[in-house]
Formats: sequence, structure tokens, C-alpha cells
Amino acid sequence: MKWGASWLSRKRPDHPPLVFVDRIQNAMRIVALDARAEKSGLKRGQGLAEARAMCPDIEIIPADPVADRALLTSLADWCDRYTPLVALDGENGLYLDITGCVHLHGSEKALLNDILSRLSGLGIEARGALASSAGLSWAMAHYRSGDIAAPQEAEEVLSPLPLAALRLPLEVIQTLARVGLKTVGDIITLPRAPLARRFGPSVLLRLDQALGFEDEPLSPRLPVASLSVERRLASPIQDEDDILELTLQLAKSLRQRFEEREEGGRLFELVLFRVDGRVFRIRAATSAASRDPERISALYRERLQAIHDDLDVGYGFEILRLCVLKTEHYAVVQEDFSGASDTGRSLSAFADRVMARFGPESLSTLILQESHVPERAAAFLPVSDMSRLSAAEKTGTPISAALPSTRPLRLFRHPERVDAIAAELPEGAPASFKWRRTTYQVARAEGPERIAGEWWVDGEDALTRDYFRVEDADGRRFWLFRDGLYSQAAVSPKWFMHGIFA
Amino acid sequence: MGQSTMTRERLFALRETISRLENENVPGLLKTARKGNPAGFGQITSKQEEGVSGPVLSLGIDALDAILQGGLPLGGLTEVRTVETRDAGAALGFVLALAVLCQSGRQSQLGSPILWIGQGMAASEAGHPYGRGLEAYGLNTGCCLFSSPRTVLDALWIAEAALSLPVFTAIILEVRGNPAQFGLNESRRLHLRARAGKVPILLLRQAGAEEASSAAVRFLVAPAQTTGRPLPDGSVLAGSIGNPVFHVTVEKSRAFASPAFLMEWNSHARRFRHILPETAAPFSEPAYPLAEFPASAGGPGGTDEMGRVLAFQKAS
Repeated sequence: MKWGASWLSRKRPDHPPLVFVDRIQNAMRIVALDARAEKSGLKRGQGLAEARAMCPDIEIIPADPVADRALLTSLADWCDRYTPLVALDGENGLYLDITGCVHLHGSEKALLNDILSRLSGLGIEARGALASSAGLSWAMAHYRSGDIAAPQEAEEVLSPLPLAALRLPLEVIQTLARVGLKTVGDIITLPRAPLARRFGPSVLLRLDQALGFEDEPLSPRLPVASLSVERRLASPIQDEDDILELTLQLAKSLRQRFEEREEGGRLFELVLFRVDGRVFRIRAATSAASRDPERISALYRERLQAIHDDLDVGYGFEILRLCVLKTEHYAVVQEDFSGASDTGRSLSAFADRVMARFGPESLSTLILQESHVPERAAAFLPVSDMSRLSAAEKTGTPISAALPSTRPLRLFRHPERVDAIAAELPEGAPASFKWRRTTYQVARAEGPERIAGEWWVDGEDALTRDYFRVEDADGRRFWLFRDGLYSQAAVSPKWFMHGIFA
Repeated sequence: MGQSTMTRERLFALRETISRLENENVPGLLKTARKGNPAGFGQITSKQEEGVSGPVLSLGIDALDAILQGGLPLGGLTEVRTVETRDAGAALGFVLALAVLCQSGRQSQLGSPILWIGQGMAASEAGHPYGRGLEAYGLNTGCCLFSSPRTVLDALWIAEAALSLPVFTAIILEVRGNPAQFGLNESRRLHLRARAGKVPILLLRQAGAEEASSAAVRFLVAPAQTTGRPLPDGSVLAGSIGNPVFHVTVEKSRAFASPAFLMEWNSHARRFRHILPETAAPFSEPAYPLAEFPASAGGPGGTDEMGRVLAFQKAS
């Protein structure tokens, strides 16, 4: 609908009733609607054609469950400010386990009011309830019967509510309604055994969960950090230096707790709550357990540099939280009097800086593998653990042979095609070859070194390669191979350049 | 006389400015190291200057060591360049041989880690380092770190970060060509840091032209034909490919000459061997030495080519 220019002089027009529709059982039906649409007499589950007939000027928007889910998840992220235990409930609810968190906000009443008023500030209409069990608070929130209930009031609060407040399946509610049981109060007083026998165990389970007799585990969305410290700010901060300074202070307050546990952190997460509700999580890993505040802060300096464009500061951040997601035993080493710094520590500090800036793949070490196919015999492995590096070093590696090396210093990841000219048949080296548009005259050649494919990896029909070390007239040394034997292949086999010698 | 006093004053003022500029962003370690000589511009009066009399690594060839005034400076930038990409194998062989010598010279508690920074493009053009080959070449790869950043700036950042801690035995930085981001300023910065931290940084420049840099020493490496595999009776197996041989020209050093050497690397003994020209190729040297140009001739910065460019028709 277009407003036109007249709304400037007259009043701003109201938007039309809004409905969200989706295809349910082969018919377009309303899945959600706003208050104006509700007032016009529309209902959820109504067919779209009928709704249009009742109220022709409705605005129809196709439902987008993925976007709804994303909104709910981001709200769950936002709720992290109250408790680390946030669980999703269906498509439109959140459970917050506030055990042990209430005193941080004054009282239960204050906590609930804070959540609801902040949410309405974000433009979200929400209902909330706080009770001793998840089932009871669900019922209270959905059926608007008070907002806070003590454990002993559970029966009293639940009794007048309809049976749907117990989160029972629809068929069970209908069966119960058929025998005249409509409210929770109707079944609380009934003998339990016949009830279970006749309507199944779910009725009693849900009733007990709501009354708090049965425990109901919530599955939180995110794992709970083993250590976490946070700072709430009166006025939001925007500057990167301020964020880093606060991170340093948070890391300093972590230090004592690390020392009590004799641990250091391997994986840190900085959670930044933006004023408009968006939450950023920045992870930084270390290659060895670390508890030094300066180092953690330096790590985040690199991370912030790396993600500079993705971190939209907006109007600033109001809460900063530093979590330790992974810890490890931290061995305290006494420095000696020579004042020489510990090589291993500073090496891992360097690795952390590089990996924080360029990603965990950016720094790697070499590993040798048991394989006779050249490209599989050596591989790069990202450095995730510095202790592995030093362990590999201690064993040492013997020099293979006194003879000149038969393996090149550089290997092409993909062997490059070579036009071999006048190769000696059936298994000789070429007299000359053309590689990258240049012709090379072979002055000397050594070979062939025959390397068959690994049938347990490549299959039975993998081609056998004949490798040659060749030296051209200028002294460049190359590693060529012929893919396949003349007797093996129907067409004449191709030649490839695989590496360069010193 | 008055004129020369003026000139000298201006010179001092300029030196002061430069030293102030350079000291601004340099950590304390470096400041103390350079206190005696602001900006490194002073005349070389004592042996403390320019890292020449710092620790050096003898290359095992007397003539070469004499030109380098004792050997390769351990601490500072050393450049190794090739004219063409296809010579990258030889240049890498030479650089790695230097790294192996550094490794065998220095043993600390965590071994002797070497950092290899290869710009992504350089590796994909000339091949990736191959572990089996490196092991056989004499390098202890157990404690080597490899990094392949995408851009030159990233590579420089990593190199600088690595130079700021005295952990690495040697740092190999491989770039391709003469990138604009790696000019005189950047090379000077790396050189000063390396000198302060006493870490050798070996710059391997693939297919690079000769350009002004702060490297104390610059080598031009080209491949050379091998001598063949030695037989037990002392003779050489005909037609075989022996230990790698490099044709190394010292393009920049404190010496006046820029001589060339034929050097063979023995990966088992971990040692260079000087191949004297007469044993390598008895008649390949021209009888008349006047035709020789200095190795630095023909570089950039000379007079432009003269004459007029004609548009020829395409041959094909």
C-alpha cells in the first residue's frame, strides 16, 4: 500500500491488518496475525480466501520460518546477558534458567520487568513468567495468569487453566474433553493410576513437571563456559582501543581464578552485546594454555584487526564478557637467572598472534607419512598444538642417505603437462621437452624410478609412473614422470613435470 | 670553509630527523641496539657497526668468506635472487643450504626452529616445499613452521612479528618479483629488526630485478651443471646427476669486486665445496678476460635504450 504525500498534512495512516500465510495441508492458511487483524475477527488457521472475504484490505505476507528462527536465535543470544542457560522452545518461546542469577538483578520481579521492558524497547511484544518449574512458567506465560509464582502456589495457579496449558498433545486433550475433563484442576484431584491407564503416561508426566514433582531438563543452546567474567557499562563504547582495554581488565580478573584451578585457557570467547540487541562472539584460540592478561589482550588486538569489517560497532557495546571455553593444565615454570626467555612460550605466543590474524590454517608444520606416492609422503598440518611440534623435534630425523637426494625440494601441487620429444622407447627419458612454452634440452637423465599407484587408495587400474631426474643444458634439475607404461595404455602415455631439484 | 660547515650542519639535522622518524615505532630492544649510531648513517669507525663484526656464519669457502668479511652475517637481511622463475629450485637450494648451516651452528633447547614464509603466488608458481626433499637436503623439518600468506603485506607482517622474538634460527621470506609494497623502507625495517634481534632473514626473490634494498649482502643464484655421482675409486659416474651445484654471484657486499663462485652442496656433510673453474669446465672460460662485464652491469637505472621503435608486422 502506498501512503502518498498527504500523510504529511493529515494524520499518518494506519497500516492495514497484517497476516502471515503459509501452505498448510494444501491450502493457504493464516499462521500469524497482528492485533488489528485479530480485532477484525480473523483467527489463526483460517483459510486465506475466507479471511480476504471478511476483510478485503488485509496485507498478506508469506511466512518465513527460517527468518523467524533466526530472530528467535538472536533473541536467545541477547538473553545471554541474564543467564548462560538459554533454551529455545518451539518457534516462539525461550526458556531462561535463572538459577543463581537473580541476586545480580535485585529481585525476581526486577529481573522479569527488566527483560520485558528491554524487549518492548527492541520492538518485540513478549509475555513472560517466572516460576519454579519450566512447565509452570510456560503455562503462566501462555495463559496470562500472573507473572511470578512460588513453588507452593503451583496447584492454585494451575487449577483454573485449561488442559492445553500442560503442553499435552492435541489428541489427548480432545480425549480428556470428551469425558468432561477440561481444566487442570479437574485432573489434579483424580486418582493417578486410572488416569495413566486410560490416557497414557504423558498426562501425569506433564502434570508432575508443571507442579515441580518431576525434573525437566532444559537443553541450553550453547555450552556453558567454564569461566566467564563480564563488565556492564553505563554508557556504550565504540572505540576498538576501549574494547581492548576492557578485555585486558577482564583477563586480569580471570587470572586469579586460573591460578586457583591451576589451569590456563586454550580457547577464549569475547561476547560483545550491542545496544540494539545484536550479539557478537569473537573466538580466539591459543596454541598452548595461557593465562597472561597481556597476551590474551594482544590476541584480541589481532582478531579485531582481522575481522575489522565484519564487526559493525553501530551505537556501541554495553556489555563485554570474556569466556573461557576450553582450559588445560598450566605448568608454572620458574625462570632461571640467566634471564633467557623460554623459547617454547615465545614460539607459541608468535603462533597465536599469526593464527589470530590470519586464521588457524595460516601456520603449518610438515609431517612425513608412510606412502610411496610422492605427493602423499609429505603433508602440511596446521599448528594447533605447540607441544606436538617440540615433541617431533626431540626425536630428530636421521639423514636418509649419503647419496644425492632423489626427491625434489619443490613439488607442484598439480603436476604440469609436459610435451616430451623423442623419448627413448619403451622406458627412457626424453631427449628434450617443452614446459611452460619453453624447450629444454636434456643433458643428463637418471631413471626410471618406477612408482606404482596405491591400489588400496586409487583402485586397481591406477597408472604406474616412471620418474626421471633430468638436468638440462644450463644445469636446471627437474623431476619428470610418464603417467603409465607404453605397454599398459592404449594411447601413448603423457608426461608431467612434478618437481624441481636444487 | 663556511660552506662546508653549513653543509655539515644540514647533514646532521637530516640525520637527526631520520633517526627520530625511525625510532618512533620501534620497540625498546631496537632503540638500545642503535643508540650508538643513530639511523645507521654514521661512518663505520668501530667494528660494532652495521652488524659486520657481529656473529657471522662461515660458509666454508675461504674466498667467499673473505669477500663477506668473515661469513654470512647472522642478524640482518640477506637477499638471494634469481633472474627467472625456473631457477627458483637452485635459489631455494642455496637458501636452504644457508638455513641448514644456521641450524647446525645454533642449537637451543627447542632445537632450532626455522620459519618459512612463502607468498602464496610464489609457491604456486614454483612449487610448494616438499618435506621428503627438505629432509634429504639436510634440513631438520621437525621444528620448521611454514606459512603461506596471500599478499606481500601479510608476509611482511608475519616476518616482522617473527623477528620481534629471538626464537627462530633463520627466517626464509619468499616473494615473487619486485612488489611495490616491499620497497626500500620495508627492507630497511626488516633489516634493522633482524640486526637487533640477531636473527638472519633470508629473502628469496624469484624472478626479481636488481633493486636498491637494505640487505647487507645480495646473491644472484643460477643453476649450474653437476659434477656427477662420485664412485668409490674417486672417479665420476658418467652421465649421472650428482650433488647440486650453484653459480653464485655476490652482487652486493662490502667488497669492491662482485665475483662469482661455483658451489656444490653436500647434504650429507652439510657443507659447501668450492668447485674451481678449471675442474668444472676446463675450456668454457673465455681466454680473453676483457670481454667480462661486472655482474651488476645491465641493471635498471642505466641509460634507456636508444634509437627508434619500429612497428614490424607480425611474423605469423
